[in-house]
Amino acid sequence: MRAVRGVLITCDSAVKQILLTLDERPGQSFIIEDLDEFHVLVRADEEQRVRRELEAELEKNTYSMEA
Amino acid sequence: MDGSSHLSLIIDLSPSQWHLSAQSSNPHPLSFQTFLSHVLTFVNSHIASKHENTLAVFGALPGKSSMLYSSLDADSGNGNDPPADANSYRPFKVVNSVVTNNTQKELDLIGGLTEEPPVALVGALTKALCFINRLAHPPSGSLVDEAAASADPRILILSVSPDLAASYIPVMNSIFSAQKLKVTIDVCKVFGEETVFLQQAAHLTGGSYIYLERRDAFLQYLIMSFLPPPSLRHIIAVPRQDKVDFRAACFCHKNIVDIGFVCSVCLSIFCSPVAVCSTCRTKFPMKTLQRLNASRPAIPPANGVSNGSPRPPSARPSTGMSASLR
Amino acid sequence: MPTADGTTDDQQEHRLHALLPFLQTQSQTSLTRLYQRPSSCLSIFRLLGAVERQLVMNLLWLDLPIQTSTMSSWVTREGKALFDDALASLARLHFLSNNSAIKLGLSTTFKTSMRHAITGGGTSVSFGVPAEPDENRSAPSIDALDAYALERWETVLHYMVSSGTGQTPIKPSQGVLFLLQRSGLMAMNQGQLQITSSGFQFLLHTPHSQLWELLLQYLQMVEERQMDLVEVLSFLFMLSTMELGREYSIESLSDTQRAMLEDLRDYGLMWQRRASSRRFSPTRLATTLTSSLPPLPTATSTGGAKDQGFIVLETNYRLYAYTDNPLQTAVLNLFVTVKWRFPNLVVGAITRESVRKALLNGITADQIISYLTTYAHPQMRKNRPLLPVTVQDQIRLWELERNRIKTQEGFLYTAFASQADYEYVLNYARQLDVVLWENAAKRCFFGSVEGHTNIRGFIERRTGGSGG
Repeated sequence: MRAVRGVLITCDSAVKQILLTLDERPGQSFIIEDLDEFHVLVRADEEQRVRRELEAELEKNTYSMEA
Repeated sequence: MDGSSHLSLIIDLSPSQWHLSAQSSNPHPLSFQTFLSHVLTFVNSHIASKHENTLAVFGALPGKSSMLYSSLDADSGNGNDPPADANSYRPFKVVNSVVTNNTQKELDLIGGLTEEPPVALVGALTKALCFINRLAHPPSGSLVDEAAASADPRILILSVSPDLAASYIPVMNSIFSAQKLKVTIDVCKVFGEETVFLQQAAHLTGGSYIYLERRDAFLQYLIMSFLPPPSLRHIIAVPRQDKVDFRAACFCHKNIVDIGFVCSVCLSIFCSPVAVCSTCRTKFPMKTLQRLNASRPAIPPANGVSNGSPRPPSARPSTGMSASLR
Repeated sequence: MPTADGTTDDQQEHRLHALLPFLQTQSQTSLTRLYQRPSSCLSIFRLLGAVERQLVMNLLWLDLPIQTSTMSSWVTREGKALFDDALASLARLHFLSNNSAIKLGLSTTFKTSMRHAITGGGTSVSFGVPAEPDENRSAPSIDALDAYALERWETVLHYMVSSGTGQTPIKPSQGVLFLLQRSGLMAMNQGQLQITSSGFQFLLHTPHSQLWELLLQYLQMVEERQMDLVEVLSFLFMLSTMELGREYSIESLSDTQRAMLEDLRDYGLMWQRRASSRRFSPTRLATTLTSSLPPLPTATSTGGAKDQGFIVLETNYRLYAYTDNPLQTAVLNLFVTVKWRFPNLVVGAITRESVRKALLNGITADQIISYLTTYAHPQMRKNRPLLPVTVQDQIRLWELERNRIKTQEGFLYTAFASQADYEYVLNYARQLDVVLWENAAKRCFFGSVEGHTNIRGFIERRTGGSGG
């Protein structure tokens, strides 16, 4: 039996794919375990950075009429 | 639901009926003075309930009707502005003094009459409806705020006079206007026998009709039955009459009829079969008239001219130029 | 048939006035002292919900307590739950007398005062002593009072909204600044007062709830300022029953109440010619405290209509605000991209960027929508629904967009020796209600942080007990 401390992320599958891609960046691995389609376990100290990077990634996919 | 609400109160000010009501031979004599003080407490409770609640008071006097108070122009000191005092809430005081003074003024005016004409209940009812209509459609750019416009309006009639058969048609017309304006009409019969028309008014507009049995508990009746605004009545149970007298008055002699004959074209009601409808000039076949006349004392026969009446679905369907009621 | 039922807004019904929970936490002794004043009873009565008010009225003129079973016939079957809530709420306010298990009645103090309030009478002097007319100076006009209250109030709001933007608006008084800081609406940041996220939310509330929010904070501070809460409350309630445009004398006020005069002047609740004046005039902010009418009906906007509504919002997200009021413009700036400004008109658009900026400040989509609804131009009121659905939905979607992921801290329990072991621990965790995720195939589950100590203890006891 083992207990692993971490943060459980619940998300939709699109976001999960982005998270997996982010995780593959060299030296920035944060995923402890890929649980299932909607859940990922990540390192607790990385939560804020992951949120920021995800935000930046999602931002690339929005377009504004005002631009 | 917790919006503001408007109350138009119609007080029956028939001096003779109030005189009768105060007789000590009654089981619970109720003098006009006591009545008025209870009514004032009731209207204060209405104003107390919500800062935005609005109020109008109308008096139905013998042969005329008049507005005794309106919260729209309450503050325009019209001579009877009571002095401010630290022990009472000013709006209450203003209502009390304005209503009392105006009532007294109106009663003094009619004091000299030797014969008392019937009270102008319809006049008061119409004025109340006009007032509510004015609240509902404030002229653009006026200072009447929206809270008053959206108020959930109701009319409460405190009646002591008997039905006036001649006013059947105007009462019915007022009821239809009230329905259209979505105004609830409540009726409290404070003294005297049951009135057929007001029962129908309450029934048709979703209001309550209450015959005051315990006249010593008048205020409690008022508060429990008539204080909750219509929007609250799906939560607070208010008494409603269980049987309604749906009888109508005929158009020809203004009698209240048990069996009426209804024109198939315009739905006018007559107390006996007529050859030509006096309202729409429709001619009825001789044969029908004869048959109707022949069967008059009994339950009316089927297949006459047609049926229908300006009333809600009554007890049983009838197909003649007649409708039986009760 | 027309309608005695039907159109109701249950949501509104359940919304409790902000002051009531505060009153409910007060001791019975304080409340009873408060209820000795008819004006306080009347004001609190007005803050109650519709069902509560009706129950109080039903009970008010009864001399003897009545059976609770009789009372339950006062409501329809559908209203039973609301009725019970209402009774509980009245009991918490100590409106009801104590032996309320079988028989119900109003508490004697409340009943006496409320009767006095309705009929006028008693000698409590709780509705304020009118000042003798002054020969030399006439009382301030209602317009002057409105202008004064508005100027005070907008100074506060404007100070909040422009903090941190580099502008230097007029500072409100020290007392107000302290109150803003205490209520968490503003916070010291590098030696400067800065608006906080709850401050941004505050700006979008209706003036009425803003006022009560500040007053509640004021009430919270009363004790540490060694003031008597009952005096403070009853003074506020007295103000709320006073007549706008009338001058009142300070003669009958207690020391505590006189000490409040300065604060109330600062908030714009009352006007005094001089600080030493023996008379005061309540403003509309004070006299509408217990109503839901907008406390300041005459906004300074001269261009638009006299009433509150000035915003037109179109389906193409474009927004026209008929205002020349710098405060309203500044508040709009929180969630609108302003394009053009004219003397009486601000034109802008609701964009993703502008809404995101607002969301980052802690403002929610619902608050934006409710602000737009509250201040919609009368022309907009003809629309059903009031605001274009596309815009409403989009604002909500933009909010949801920021919540693509949900994170919960905890422990992943894995590598169990056997299926039985796994199920045994999992069952225990389920009983504690700490399981956030589980997967039987992988034989692991995720529990929240709170449950960890218990689960670890459970496993240790078990492994210790079974000798392995």
